[in-house]
Amino acid sequence: MSAVAAAAGFPVRWEGVRFGYTGTDVLHDVSLAIGAGESVALLGPNGAGKTTLTRMLMGLARPRAGRVSVGDWDVAAKRPHEMARRVGYAFQHADQQLFARTVADDVAFGPQRLGIGADQVSDVLRELGLAEVAGRHPYDLPAPLRKLVSLAGVFAMQPGVLVLDEPTAGFDRDLRGRVVGALRRRSEAGATVIAISHDLALVRAVAQREVVLEQGRIAADRRVSPSP
Amino acid sequence: MKPIVRLRGASFTYPGVHVPALHGLDFEVRHGEVIAVTGPIGAGTTTLLLVAAGFAPRLTGGTLAGERESLVARPGIVFATPWTQLTGLCHSVFAEVAFGPASHGVPRERVLAAAQRAMRQAQVEHLAEREPSTLSGGELQRVIVASALALEPDLLALDDPAAELDPAAADALYALLREVAEAGAAVLVATPDVERAAKAATRALLLERGRVVRDGTPTEVLA
Repeated sequence: MSAVAAAAGFPVRWEGVRFGYTGTDVLHDVSLAIGAGESVALLGPNGAGKTTLTRMLMGLARPRAGRVSVGDWDVAAKRPHEMARRVGYAFQHADQQLFARTVADDVAFGPQRLGIGADQVSDVLRELGLAEVAGRHPYDLPAPLRKLVSLAGVFAMQPGVLVLDEPTAGFDRDLRGRVVGALRRRSEAGATVIAISHDLALVRAVAQREVVLEQGRIAADRRVSPSP
Repeated sequence: MKPIVRLRGASFTYPGVHVPALHGLDFEVRHGEVIAVTGPIGAGTTTLLLVAAGFAPRLTGGTLAGERESLVARPGIVFATPWTQLTGLCHSVFAEVAFGPASHGVPRERVLAAAQRAMRQAQVEHLAEREPSTLSGGELQRVIVASALALEPDLLALDDPAAELDPAAADALYALLREVAEAGAAVLVATPDVERAAKAATRALLLERGRVVRDGTPTEVLA
């Protein structure tokens, strides 16, 4: 596989962030800094606040207090579509991202909107083993393949920061391997990678750092070595 | 005891396609079983759940050929896409879980008791007042399991129900499936997580290209 197209990574930072849904605090004074080009696994039990924390990078959740930044951009001053120039976000529920009539059109949508051309769409489809289904309707595919299509759409936008929420949930070994390869290539190209996952095989394969969130607080933050 | 579902030479084809998603199905499902259904992506595990529970072709369209005998009175299903199962009509988790039995005309006292019991079983009691749209993926998956249990299903089909759960919650869910089966229901669970499934299942089916290629104990099939 040739080197992938990827933008240079950005550092991301949460400073004293608080967030609550109605009557329920989800994040309590969270501060976390991730360096440009780092690959970080965000771990913790269900409901710990992992998804809420990362949605702030896109401006999809706004903190009640504190500040969130991506590089020199204060997220509070940006709209989600502007943040998409720096942050590629793969939602936990892939169907929230798929709407085009073919896999190829869906993957091409993001790059076209960002004005970065769609040349790499076929490369990403090939890289993830989706070329054979490029002409199929996404909803004719099994749920794990739909999820892979949603990841392809994010990779094709060449974001400097990749945020992936449970990217391999429901995947077998083969599909997980495709995602691991794609993440490693983007990490080597300099992208910042943040993966929320309960899939220990994925975490071991790609993470240089593990941050554990529990009940809305950082419970652990450690350096690790990805397995070969 | 008579099987709750029996398939003989059954094939199922989705509407608009010519190739069957499942063919040559010959198997029975009995009360008290936890059957792990596994196979490569696209092998037909999801479709097998839909056919066994009677949702295909009744809700999906398509054609079922061969024989299917069923004594299933109250099927319950948990999709691999739990967010598609929210009613969109309820503003609390408790109301969401109670919605199923309430919409079946069950008396109020029984609806409340069934919802409370199901939430306790799925360990989501602490989420009772939460707005369903604010749940995390793992929380939502457990709430949908509770919603299915509140229907007091005699056959419960679950499609990769632990995909978004943390390891402790996943273990608890599989232990719950054993309890549900021991109380008399039949449980079918499709999953790529054969290690966890092997601990909980009483039987396993391995599918390849729409056919059951192995049917036996989890040790025999999932090894």
